[in-house]
Amino acid sequence: MKTVENKITKKDLDRVFWRLHILQITNNFESMQAIGFLSTFVPVLERLYADAPKEQKVEAMKRHLQFYNSHLNSNALIIGIAAAVEETTDEEEKDTVTAIKTGLMGPLAGVGDSVLKFTVLPIFGSIGASLAFAGSLMGPILMFVLYNIISMGTKYYGIHYGYSKGMELISKSGNNVLTRLYNFSNVVGLMVIGALIASIVKVNTVFQFTVGENEIVFQELFDKVMPGLLSLLLTTLIYFILRKTNGKHASKLIFGIMVLAVILTYFGVLG
Amino acid sequence: MTQALLIALWAGIAALDDLGTQMLRRPLLIAPVVGIIMGNLEMSLLIGATLEVMWMGVGNVGAYSAPDMISGTAIGTALGIASGQVATGVALAVPTSLLAQQLLIVYRASIVSLNPIAHRIADTGDFSKVIRINYIPMIFVFAVRAVPTFLAVYFGAGIIDDVVAALPTFLIDGLGVASKIIPAVGIGILMMQMIHEHILWVFVLAGFTLSVYLGLSVLPVTLISLPLAYLYDLAVLKGNQSHVDINEEDYDL
Repeated sequence: MKTVENKITKKDLDRVFWRLHILQITNNFESMQAIGFLSTFVPVLERLYADAPKEQKVEAMKRHLQFYNSHLNSNALIIGIAAAVEETTDEEEKDTVTAIKTGLMGPLAGVGDSVLKFTVLPIFGSIGASLAFAGSLMGPILMFVLYNIISMGTKYYGIHYGYSKGMELISKSGNNVLTRLYNFSNVVGLMVIGALIASIVKVNTVFQFTVGENEIVFQELFDKVMPGLLSLLLTTLIYFILRKTNGKHASKLIFGIMVLAVILTYFGVLG
Repeated sequence: MTQALLIALWAGIAALDDLGTQMLRRPLLIAPVVGIIMGNLEMSLLIGATLEVMWMGVGNVGAYSAPDMISGTAIGTALGIASGQVATGVALAVPTSLLAQQLLIVYRASIVSLNPIAHRIADTGDFSKVIRINYIPMIFVFAVRAVPTFLAVYFGAGIIDDVVAALPTFLIDGLGVASKIIPAVGIGILMMQMIHEHILWVFVLAGFTLSVYLGLSVLPVTLISLPLAYLYDLAVLKGNQSHVDINEEDYDL
C-alpha cells in the first residue's frame, strides 16, 4: 500500500454524506443496496478516477454494483473505509475493496441494529412516548432531537472517521471494539426493556368472586406477589411464542391479542 | 379533502425520509403532524405514543420488510381522531400497516429492474449519470405511501364515525384493553433479537424491578444500566482472554 498525501478531500466526503441520504431509495430484492452504494460513492470515484481511461471507470462502477447490504448508519463507516482502501490500492488489487466491503457489511449491520435499532431508538422512543402519554408535545420533539443528533452524527463522523482511520480500524482491535459495543448495548437495552414492560404493558384483571363473606379480588392478589406480575408473565409468554415462530407471526399475534382482549373484556376478566 | 391531501403529502414526505434522511420514520414523530392537520394534537400524541411502543422492535432487518409504520400511523391517527377513539386508531393502524407492507414488497421487487439499467450506466463510464437512476424511484416511493393514505383518509373519515357509533361498547373497551397489551409484542420482538444467552434475562428482571418497585422511568434505568453494562463487558472480555494469554495484571490479587 502506498502512502501518499490524501487525494480525497473533506469536501468529497461531505458530498458523500449528502448522497448517503439516497442510498436506500434503490434498495431492491436482487442487489439490495448496491445501486445506492454506487450512487453514494460516486464523489470518491470521480476524484480518484478523474484522469483514468474509460475502461477503468467502467470497471470501478461495476465493482460497486455488486450485491451489498448493511445498516444505514454502519454504511457511513464502511463507505469511509472503502474510500481509504480505494485510494491506497493499485488497479490490480481492487479485489480488496470488495472483500473488505463484504467482510464488513454483515458484522457492522449487526452492530448498527443492536446499538441503534434495539437500544438507542427504544430508549428515546419510550422517553418520548411517556411524555406524549402525559399529553406533552415535548415527547416527540425530544425524541426527534436526541435521535437525530445520534443518527446524523454517526453518519457524518462515520464517513470521515472511516476514511481517516481506514484499515487501521479493522486490522487492529476493530473487531474487538465491535464485540464490546455489542455487549454493552445489549445490557443497556435489556434493562430498558425490563423497565418498559413495567411501565408500558398494562394488564389489569377485574375478575373477582365471593366466598362466603370474603370478596377475592384477583388483581390485589397478583399485586401482593409483585406489582406488574401479569405484565411480566404475559410479555414472557409473547416472547416465547415469537421465539418459537421466529417472529414471523407478529401481526397475527397482535390480531390474536385484540380478539382475546375483546372476549375477556366481554366476560369481565380484563378491564 | 384538504385534510386528506395534506396527510397524504405528509405520508409521502415521511416515506421519502424513511428511505432517505431517516429523521422521522417512527410513529411518535409522524402522528403529531397528522394531529395538527386534523386539529387534535392531544389525541394524536396518545395514538402516536401507543403505536411507537407497539412497534418498538419492528423494523426492516436484512431482506425482511416490516409492517409499514408510516401508512399505518398516518391512516390510524387520522381515522382515530375522526372517530374520537384512541383504540380505534390503534386498531386500524395494524391492518393498514400490513396492507401497505405488501405494496412496499411489490415496490422493492419491481425495482429489481433498475439493476440492468445501472449496469448500462456503468458501461458509459460517466460517473455523473449514476445519480439519475434514483429520481424515478423517488416518485414511486412517494406515491406508494401517499396514494393509499389519501384514499383511506378521504373515504374513511366520513364513515368511520358512524361505524364506531354502531359498534357495541364492549368491543371498543376490549380494543382499549388490547392497545395496552399489544406493546408487549414490540417488546417481545426486541427481546428476541437481544437475548442470545439465557443469563441475559437477569438484566430484563433488574430493569423491571427498578421500574416496578422504585417507580423509575426509562432514563434513570438507562443510567443505572451503564455501570452494569460496563462490568458485563469486562467479564466477557476477561473470560475470552484468560485462556488465551496470561497478562501482567495477574499478580494484582
